[in-house]
Amino acid sequence: MPIIVNLDVMMAKRKISAGDLAERVDITPANLSILKNNKAKAVRFSTLEAICRELDCQPGDILVYEPEGGSP
Amino acid sequence: MKCKWTSAHSLRLSRLLTLIVLLLAVAALFCIPIITEWYDAVSEQEPIRNLLNVIFYISDMLGILAVWELLGMLGNIAKEKLFVEQNVTCLRVISWCCFGVAAVWTPLVYFRLLAVFVAFVAAFAGLILRVMKNLFAAAVAMREENDYTI
Repeated sequence: MPIIVNLDVMMAKRKISAGDLAERVDITPANLSILKNNKAKAVRFSTLEAICRELDCQPGDILVYEPEGGSP
Repeated sequence: MKCKWTSAHSLRLSRLLTLIVLLLAVAALFCIPIITEWYDAVSEQEPIRNLLNVIFYISDMLGILAVWELLGMLGNIAKEKLFVEQNVTCLRVISWCCFGVAAVWTPLVYFRLLAVFVAFVAAFAGLILRVMKNLFAAAVAMREENDYTI
């Protein structure tokens, strides 16, 4: 998947634990783990909105597009 | 007392019937030489006993494999594992078993024209199962996407 979720970096910057973030965003720790480990197939806008609100960041700070196959 | 027919009863009946078919298919392996010998005796056409033996043995073994896979699928349904990759594989194997039976019966058409019906029915069943397999594969992908949507 060329979309990378950089949640770890932003969580470290805001000094927030996975359990705390999961509780504030109202998702299960298991689902947050799926998101953090780039196993997620899709993210709902409502989840993204809650994460951005709690981490005080923009979607672009969390989601990064990296083309597959490397440089030509 | 009134007994209500539930999906669990239906599943148990399906498993029982499949098990009976499996036992019959295994038992048929031992009866094939007798059946073919009897057929040649009553048939007024040229004897094809050896060819029939080969066709029946291959068809029966493919049938046993298909019924075995069916039992696996029914087991998965009992465990409430419906749209899983294992069921897609089961359907794929059963579909190829049907195509195999169709392929094995096709040469018999040269000797007995009616064999074309068996080959046609087997090929058609294989085709339907293949479409079912594609449907299940799409359902598995959809379920995975749904499970991994946060």
